[in-house]
Parts: sequence; C-alpha cells; structure tokens
Amino acid sequence: MSERQENAETKQVARVRAGFSDVLGAAGRWFRRAGVSGQLLTLLIVVLIFGIGTKGRFLSLVNLQVILSLAAIPAIIALGEHQVVVLGGIDLSIEGVVALCVVFVGLLLRNKFNANDVGLWIVPITLGIGGLAGFVSGLWNTRGRIPSFIATLGMSWILWGLAVYVSRGQTVALLDTRFQGVITGTVLGIPILALIALALIILMQVVQGGTRFGRYLYAIGGDEVLARQAGVNVERIKIIVFTIAGLLYGLSALFLCTRLGGSQAITGNNLLFPAVTAVAVGGVALTGGIGGAKNAALGALIVTALNDGLILLHVNPYAQDAVNGVVLVAAVALTIDRRKLGFIK
Amino acid sequence: MRKTLVVLTCVGALLMTVAAGAFAAPTTLAISIRTLSSPYQVMYKNGAEAYANIVGLPLDVLTTEANSEKGLTDIKAEIARTGGNVAFYVDPNDAADAVSIAKTMEAAGVYWVSWWSKPADVKVWDYPHWICHVTFDGFPAAVFTATELLKTFKTPGQGKIIALQGRLGDTPNGERWQGLQKVLSDNPGVKLLEWESAEWDRTKAYNDTRAMLVANPDVDGVWTANDDMAMGAIQALKEAGLAGKVKVVGCDGIPEIFDAIKDGLAAASVLNDGNYQAELGLAMSLAAKQGKLNVSSLPHKYRMFEIPAVNVNAANVDQVKHDYIDNIPTYDLRNFFARWSRALE
Repeated sequence: MSERQENAETKQVARVRAGFSDVLGAAGRWFRRAGVSGQLLTLLIVVLIFGIGTKGRFLSLVNLQVILSLAAIPAIIALGEHQVVVLGGIDLSIEGVVALCVVFVGLLLRNKFNANDVGLWIVPITLGIGGLAGFVSGLWNTRGRIPSFIATLGMSWILWGLAVYVSRGQTVALLDTRFQGVITGTVLGIPILALIALALIILMQVVQGGTRFGRYLYAIGGDEVLARQAGVNVERIKIIVFTIAGLLYGLSALFLCTRLGGSQAITGNNLLFPAVTAVAVGGVALTGGIGGAKNAALGALIVTALNDGLILLHVNPYAQDAVNGVVLVAAVALTIDRRKLGFIK
Repeated sequence: MRKTLVVLTCVGALLMTVAAGAFAAPTTLAISIRTLSSPYQVMYKNGAEAYANIVGLPLDVLTTEANSEKGLTDIKAEIARTGGNVAFYVDPNDAADAVSIAKTMEAAGVYWVSWWSKPADVKVWDYPHWICHVTFDGFPAAVFTATELLKTFKTPGQGKIIALQGRLGDTPNGERWQGLQKVLSDNPGVKLLEWESAEWDRTKAYNDTRAMLVANPDVDGVWTANDDMAMGAIQALKEAGLAGKVKVVGCDGIPEIFDAIKDGLAAASVLNDGNYQAELGLAMSLAAKQGKLNVSSLPHKYRMFEIPAVNVNAANVDQVKHDYIDNIPTYDLRNFFARWSRALE
C-alpha cells in the first residue's frame, strides 16, 4: 500500500470519525436544548432494569400497550398541571374537577340509574365543567389575589362536595359504549388513548415553543414582575392556563369514567399526587419557568412504567412505596437541571 | 342602679330561657363515618335516618373524608353544640383514632359505639362510656368468597389466582386476607401467583390488575378484599378479553356487584349490612344514655364482638338484593346481641 493510499485512508477514517462525532454532538446539543435528556436516561434505566429483571416480559408488545394505555390519562392530567407549575403556581383542583365531571358523565350518558342520554354532547359538557372550574380558579388567583395553592384547593373541595351531593354517594353504572372504542382500541398496535394524549402533547409543545403565549408563559414563570413590566398581560395568561388545565381534567374524567364502566365521585381520588409526581419527575421545576409538555408526558410515562415494572418484577407490595420513594428522588436528581435554578427551597 | 337591675334581670331571664331550652332539647343522634361518596357508607346514613325516624330524634351525619383530624374536630364540635346531649355511632377513619375519640367521649360523658377499626390492644371496657366495638367478621366472609371462587375453576380446587388487598394495616383487610390464606392452605392445588394492595380504590385496582394480567396471563380467578376493587378488576379483565371466563369475588355488597354476579362476571360477595350497623350502634348508644342499658354490667364478650355478614352468590343474589338493597329491612333491636357471632380478642 502506498503512502498516498494510506494517507487517503487515514483521512477517510478521520472524516467518518468527525462525522460520527458531529452526529453525536448534534444529538447531545438537541438533548440539551430539548431539556429531556435526563428524563430519557431515566426511562432508559427503568426499561433496562425491568426488561432484564422480567426476562423481556416488560418489553413485550402486550405490556408496552398496557403501559401506554395506563400512562395516557395521567399524562393528560399532568399536561394540565404542568403549565400552572411552569407559571410558578400549583393546581390542587384535579380531584374535585374530575369528581364532578365523572358524576355528570355517569348521570348524563346512557346509564342504569336514569333515562338520560346526551350522547356526544357529553364531550363539550365535561370540558365545559372542567374549563369553567379552571377559569374560576384563575379568576380567584388573579383578580382575587388568592394564592393558587388555596384557590385551587378550595375549588377542589367545593367541587368534591357538589359531586358527592349530586351523586348521593351512589355509583352509576354506564351503559353507553360510544367511547369504549377510544379506551380499548388500537391503531397500528398503539392504544388510541395514547395517541390522543400524544396529539395533545405535541399540540401543547408546539404552542409553548412557537407562539407568543408560550413565550409569555415562560416569561411569567421566570420572573412575573419583569414580565409584567415588559407589558405581558399576566392575569390573562394565568386565567388561560388554569382554564386549559380544567379542560384537560374534564377530558380525563370522561376517559376515566368510560374506562371504569361507571361513575362515582371517588373516581377523582388519588389523582393529584401522581400528577404532581409526574410533573416533578418529568423535570418541570416546582419553582416555575422550566419544563414543558414533553417533560410532563415523560414524567407520567416514567411513573407508570415504574409502577408496572414493580408489579411485573413481583416486588413485594410492602416494599413498593419505599422503592417508589427512592426512584422519585433519584429521578428528580437526574431530570432537573439544578444549575438553572437560582435557589432550592 | 335600677337600670343595672333591669339589665341583670333580662340577662338572667335570657340565660334561664336558653338553659331551659337546652335541657328540654331532645337527644341528638350522630354518626361519624368516612364519606358519603361510597355506596357502602351511604348505607350507614340510610340506616341512621331510618332509626332516627323510628325514634323521632334529630340526626347529624359527620364525615371524616379520610381525615382523622377532621373526624375528631367534628365530634368535639358536635358534643359542644349539643351540650353533650348526644348518642354517637362512630366508624373511625383509622384504628389509632379510636383512642382519641374514646378520651373525648369520656371527658364529655357521651355514650358511643364504634365500628370496624380500633387498635387491637385497646380494650373497650377501660372506657366506661365506650359501650362496645363491633365489626363484621371478615374472616368467614373471605373464606366464603374464596371458596366460591375456587368452585368456578375448570377443575374446582385446582388453579391459579391473583389477589388485591385493601389498605395494608386496616383491620378488615387483615381479617379478609387471613380468610383467603385459610382457603389456600386448605386447597394446596390453588396457587396465589401475585397480590397487590389497591388500597380499596377502583382505579388502582384496574391499573394493578392490568399489570398483573401481563405477568400472569393464565389466571383462573381474581380475589379482592372489597367490591370496589372487584369492579376495577372486572374492567381490567374486560379489556384483556377475560371477563366472564375469569371470575372475580369481592366483599361489602355494593349494588354493582349484584349486577356483576347476575351477569356472570363475579362469583360472590358478602353484604355487610350498613343499615343494621348504624341502627344497632345508635340504638345501643341511645339506650345507654337513657339508662336502659347498663354498660358496666355487660360481660366483656358483649363489649367487643363480631356479627356475621350476608353471603351472596348467583343462587341468592336476587333475594339479597331485594331484601337489603332495594329495601331497608325492619330490624328487631330489642336484643342488641341477637347477631353476636364471636367475641373479639
């Protein structure tokens, strides 16, 4: 082999190496810009541990479908919650909003309790109840200057009380099957419910990344005083964010009620903490201004995959809470870029 | 001086009027229960209302909403409001709450009956106004449901099951779990593949069952510690295409489980007659308050005891539904211990 040929080959290898390094560098930059590298790493670790631990069963098509299906509703709820958190607030109204919406879904769709059947009108009705609740929470927070913690907690209790009063504590069995296809159906093996959640995630991510609303959202979350001085209508943005959250809780209620085949006020119970956990694990800073729809969605996916994996691994239920706690702290340590935070409270 | 005298006279007259009114006021009946959002707990309320109508006394319904502190505060407020002229029936939110409640009742001299939960080492007879602690016998209930489940297997007594416990540490959950263990030990051909704690929650039961079905797709039956979880499991089985082929059993006797038994989705349940619970509890407390029941003379076996529940399967589901769900039975409460089955240790 001549010296010239050797040089050409060396240059070729160097070019390939450089190209490979460029691709890796670009991927790294994309991950850093996207702000989900930690979340994907966490998900990868979860998948690897459970994939190996369950001898591949965790990665079976059936289980992946189950995970996607189970993650969809928490993801939709987390989508609503995370924008309030990005604003620097918190929304504790989830359980009350879902409780009231679920009760109305049960009583208005074809059921065993009464002769009502509003059909597809249930969609605008449920979204309307959720949206109105969010709108009022937003008004209390902005016009009433009540901290979001209290405004939404109060809203949750009010709606919970209404739900119990309206339902009289009874469970209403659904006879309507129009929405059953959404819950149980798949397209190309992917649960329709997961595709709906994915569409909402993409829509919200696009709005957050490419519109004035999104810029204002992060400006307020970063520094509300500065945003106000810059001419941002803070109140309007906050009210919109709370309303969107309520709409999404209402949509989740419709899916939950259909999935469980019946309506009872307590269906709303135990939804708040997983939603906040998903938001935190997804890397949305509770101090506001950091994180987006993709973070919330990944957070919901990680939490769901974790719960599923613990069951598949036959981890003793007495130990599951402890394992969950450890993973929660580890996940937040991995997913939140604490360099961006000015302070840790 | 004359003015002062007139004022003092008026105030005195007012106080005497108020005092006379208070002394003349009828005894209030009060129940403290967990929530009005569960069909089973609503049975308490219905039974209490029926009893209040029979004796013609006012009734107050307090709910803890799963908050122990709220439960105790509401009881104190009720005692203050009625001046201690109240007869109580209490279903403590947590077992540990029973001690604080007992001390509160003792300080106010209010007679009361507790149901379901109290610490095992706390003895009712150490508190003169704590008439008795009663529970439904969870052990035979679970023995019955588990036995009925085993009958549904292709080869009766030979098969695999998964199970859902309620909240770990709850007394009824522990008793029911022991009942299942007894049946499993008597039937070595039946294997418990996996269990989870769904904390009495339908949504969690649905999620856990879906994951457990991935890990154990060849189960023959699902045992659950209550009907709400049974309904969640049935929904999960429906999505896995196993509903009806794999039977579920529950406990408590909520209206939906009766339909599930009739539809061939569930094999059995046990009706804990909440109406009777409330009527018996209030009747004993009122009798003690009126001096018709000498609490201190009651033998220990009548101070802490269990009563049997009503077994429900496909053979008697219509009759039980007619007798206990569609109608409130008329109970003979002249003998408080007519249904006594065994003393609690």
